[in-house]
Amino acid sequence: MKRTTRIVAITLAASAGAAALAGGLFVYSGVYDVSATEQHTALVYRMLDTTMRRSIKLRTVDVDVPPLDDDERVLRGFRQFRAHCVQCHGAPGIAPEGFALGLTPAPAALVATARERPVAEIYWVISKGIKMSGMPAWRYRMSDQEMWDVVAFMNVLPTLSPVDYAALDRRHAADVPPPAAQAATSATGEERGDIAAGRKAMQQYVCVTCHVIPGVVGASEHVGPSLAGIASRRYIAGVLPNTPDNMLRWLQNPPGVDPLTAMPDLGVSEQDARDMAAYLYTLE
Amino acid sequence: MTRTQQVRHSMKPLTAARERGTAAAVNARFARITWVCGTSMLALLIGCEKVAEPLRSRAQTELLSQADALRGQEVINRYGCVACHTIPGVRGPASNVGPPLANMASRAYVAGILPNTPEDMVRWLRDPPAVDPRTAMPNMGLTEKEAKDVAAYLYTLD
Repeated sequence: MKRTTRIVAITLAASAGAAALAGGLFVYSGVYDVSATEQHTALVYRMLDTTMRRSIKLRTVDVDVPPLDDDERVLRGFRQFRAHCVQCHGAPGIAPEGFALGLTPAPAALVATARERPVAEIYWVISKGIKMSGMPAWRYRMSDQEMWDVVAFMNVLPTLSPVDYAALDRRHAADVPPPAAQAATSATGEERGDIAAGRKAMQQYVCVTCHVIPGVVGASEHVGPSLAGIASRRYIAGVLPNTPDNMLRWLQNPPGVDPLTAMPDLGVSEQDARDMAAYLYTLE
Repeated sequence: MTRTQQVRHSMKPLTAARERGTAAAVNARFARITWVCGTSMLALLIGCEKVAEPLRSRAQTELLSQADALRGQEVINRYGCVACHTIPGVRGPASNVGPPLANMASRAYVAGILPNTPEDMVRWLRDPPAVDPRTAMPNMGLTEKEAKDVAAYLYTLD
């Protein structure tokens, strides 16, 4: 009995070791093709698609849906759609722009999405985006109201013929577009900074592509200085005394503080800036 | 320890199992073969890898050809740069007034405003307020030669 147990244990350990080794070799050898021109195999595609669908479903059980049947709301949604969605997703009779045609996974035709997906799921995807796809999280650039406007328009979208859509497009061609991708929302709605929300915002305002930020995965570049120890740093960017107010000022408009800086204005909302500052001040 | 020694060392418990003459010995041998094959393949992969140059590799110029990193380290000591900056390899109070200068060689910008080239680094070191009037970093009065030596030292900090 004891011997059998040992044989089983050693066999299992050896198999696990071999599997880990094979996995490591697969990753390290570079045989996996990351190019956007190579579609996943049918099996992998199915697995990823199912993972996505189940994940969205699990997270949308208690979303409160506001009334969407309102012409004004639909029109507002159309303006957003025209400004931010059609470029990648296209519309009836309108192809996505060239850059979007090269995306893998390909952006969904929203007519199909509207016909197949529940309303709460559509709202959730607009708000949160989808990791490892081209779909961004809009909650940092649109208010809740604006995102529901888009959902309201998507509810109408499948009823429009290409001719209808083109007519709508023409009729509103001169409309003032909604402010482009600007932070209109507060991610948490709280006055005081929320550390966890701040850490998320570090991804959403692409801080991670230029700064090393302890505790944030993927933040490993030295374009700007490392933010390790920023809580005890005396100056922000070498120009402002490091006070919470100055930190908010800097995060929301770096070129406004120092016109020479390479750090751009990323359109950070006041609340998001508070959250980010709260996180940064944990980095002693 | 060489790589082979490391492998042998980690195989010790398995070798002991074989010596006990149980059926586990077969598995142990199997595990050992897998391990050795795996490591050697990995070693081969690592060994074969050629490192391609980045599109825009760090600027190499004549400017610092006469500069000396060791002298630069001495200049850094003399001017008390560590009063504000933490600098790897220079003893000091771990000050955090300005940013730490670790990774200065990999940094894309000097002070967040100048592309990190030797020319701009020397320009910055010689007179920071002349470059950015808003900076908190004062003009320390480094000579051209001192600034070049300091730059050479900072460029050793990857």
